[in-house]
Amino acid sequence: MARYANPEVLVETDWVLANMGKPGIKLVEIDVDTKAYDAGHIPGAVGFNWQTQLQDQVRRDIISKDAFEKLVSGAGISPNDTVILYGDNNNWFAAYGFWLFKIYGHKDVRLMNGGRVKWLNEKDKPLTTDVPKAAPVSYKAAAVNLELRAMLPQVFDAQKGGWNLVDVRSPDEFTGKVIAPPGMTETAQRGGHIPGAKSIPWSTAVNQDGTFKSPDELQSIYIQQKGVDPKKDTIAYCRIGERSSHTWFVLKYLLGLNNVKNYDGSWTEYGNVVAVPIEKG
Amino acid sequence: MDATGEIRNPNSEIPKKSEARMTKEKHQISPALGIRHSGLGLPSDFGFRISFVTLCFCGQILLYGDMNHQTRVYENVFEMMSSEENPTPLVRINRLNPTPEFQLYAKLEWMNPFGSVKDRPAWEMLRDLEERGEVGGARGIVEPTSGNTGISLAAMAKTRGYHMRAVVPNKVPLEKKVLLKIAGADLDVISDELCPAPGLGEGSINLAKTHAKASSHKYALPNQYENEKNVEAHFRTTGPEIWRQTEGKITHLFVSLGTCGTVSGTSKFLRSKNPGVKVIAVQPTEGHDVPGLRNVAQLGISKLFDSSLIDDILEVEFRLAYTRALELCQNEGLMAGPSSGLILEGALEIISRDKKGFGVMIFPDSIFKYTSNMMKHIPGLGAGTSA
Repeated sequence: MARYANPEVLVETDWVLANMGKPGIKLVEIDVDTKAYDAGHIPGAVGFNWQTQLQDQVRRDIISKDAFEKLVSGAGISPNDTVILYGDNNNWFAAYGFWLFKIYGHKDVRLMNGGRVKWLNEKDKPLTTDVPKAAPVSYKAAAVNLELRAMLPQVFDAQKGGWNLVDVRSPDEFTGKVIAPPGMTETAQRGGHIPGAKSIPWSTAVNQDGTFKSPDELQSIYIQQKGVDPKKDTIAYCRIGERSSHTWFVLKYLLGLNNVKNYDGSWTEYGNVVAVPIEKG
Repeated sequence: MDATGEIRNPNSEIPKKSEARMTKEKHQISPALGIRHSGLGLPSDFGFRISFVTLCFCGQILLYGDMNHQTRVYENVFEMMSSEENPTPLVRINRLNPTPEFQLYAKLEWMNPFGSVKDRPAWEMLRDLEERGEVGGARGIVEPTSGNTGISLAAMAKTRGYHMRAVVPNKVPLEKKVLLKIAGADLDVISDELCPAPGLGEGSINLAKTHAKASSHKYALPNQYENEKNVEAHFRTTGPEIWRQTEGKITHLFVSLGTCGTVSGTSKFLRSKNPGVKVIAVQPTEGHDVPGLRNVAQLGISKLFDSSLIDDILEVEFRLAYTRALELCQNEGLMAGPSSGLILEGALEIISRDKKGFGVMIFPDSIFKYTSNMMKHIPGLGAGTSA
């Protein structure tokens, strides 16, 4: 069986159990459900709130370099630490956090395969409500890699050809039957998808236990079956950029595609823009 | 059932002499056991009188009722729990069933003391936890629920003296959330599933499991989705009740799917009596808005689903749950909730196929918790409701 292109970015739950608490290993939980961390988390893990800590609180944007440095410093994370990210919903926002750590140049960041639900369902894996007291450090971001991020003008350019556009939302969101999953507050004026996009829901990349599918399976799904061209640059998008972070991680790190960008503006930007082309069905 | 094929209320039967004698004998020994009598001077041989003992977790005799289900005078609310001797009613569907050769009855589960079919598994699971010493003192329970199980568990737990935390999906109607708080539950409301995901489970189940694992000193987890006591409750009560109420004439059982405890336990019992009983499960269409029910695609989460106990699974457009519930209210006088409406629609489909039979539908709860959902799905229902 083939190997993932970058196998070092994934760790298993057993590895985390064996290594948690060791110097240089820092655990960070990032959940869709912001109550989950308080209810229980892996001992020693800090919790980041995607709504209040990973987003600029004034304009719609990721946090600035300064804010990132402040957040990570407060969590006691040093540039040379190995950061293990995990979260609920099969690591949606953990993947978003991974993307953010990579934008700000953190060298060794990894996802816990299977995320929070796998840990929860394994009997030998403990949870605690104790919040660790991190000793603050002075973290300086190594770089700002904005090439990992797609902005709206690039999405327009991509429609001219030569790019893979991957829509990772549910089929009903892709066709325009619904604008957003029920109950979501972030939505759009119009439903549908970006012209030329392929529908490859994020969940096609994971097994029943929440772990990523094998390299061969991922290769078969994305390249052979769905027609993602590995020679082209790729933009992944969803509704607000968290599910597409998951697919961005799969395409860039597990399949090793060259230039993969996460369009975090996603449908809540594109579906609200006046006079842009939209496909339905 | 009498000679005309109609069902009599088994509670209206006078017990046989031997039953009455046995009951009296129990009365005679009861003072020595510290049994409390109602003191109302009710005739002991009128209707069913059942002596009932439940041991609580600390080994004390907590409940010892001398129950008369005919007069319906009880020493505490738990004596009202349904059983073969005290079944929830079966009521015939008249105006909405066009086929007289197929008798169709509804089992009104909202007549349970806490208002739904979920009283049965809640009570069974709670007693099991108590008997095993898993709850009491500072240790209460946490449960993922779409409302009904939580309401039953919260009311029962608070009455027994311990706390309950309910984790509910946001989609649950406001009425149920408020009722959970009224019943005494601490409430966690979380986002519904956002996008189809294999093996993800549901947020409410995962959060409840998290509480139970991270705060095991505070919470035991009944977990209706995996607890065999859920099935046993229906094997012990719902099935025998139906068998007795129909005098074994039942040919079709109609149920909805949620945790699958109802269908598994009831089907198992009825088939042990008559393997020919057809069990029809009715499920709403994918993306539905019928609280408590599951589409087959969502059933992976329930470990109690056993397809070998079901003959047919019908898929019904979920909005029909609401229109049929309205019809039940307005044509049969049965104030049935949307899941009951969905089951009726499924039953009518089978009746048009099978033509003859004797069907029982298990109606899980009443309409009172769903007025906001009814307004959402029945156009015009909200019109004229304000000055």
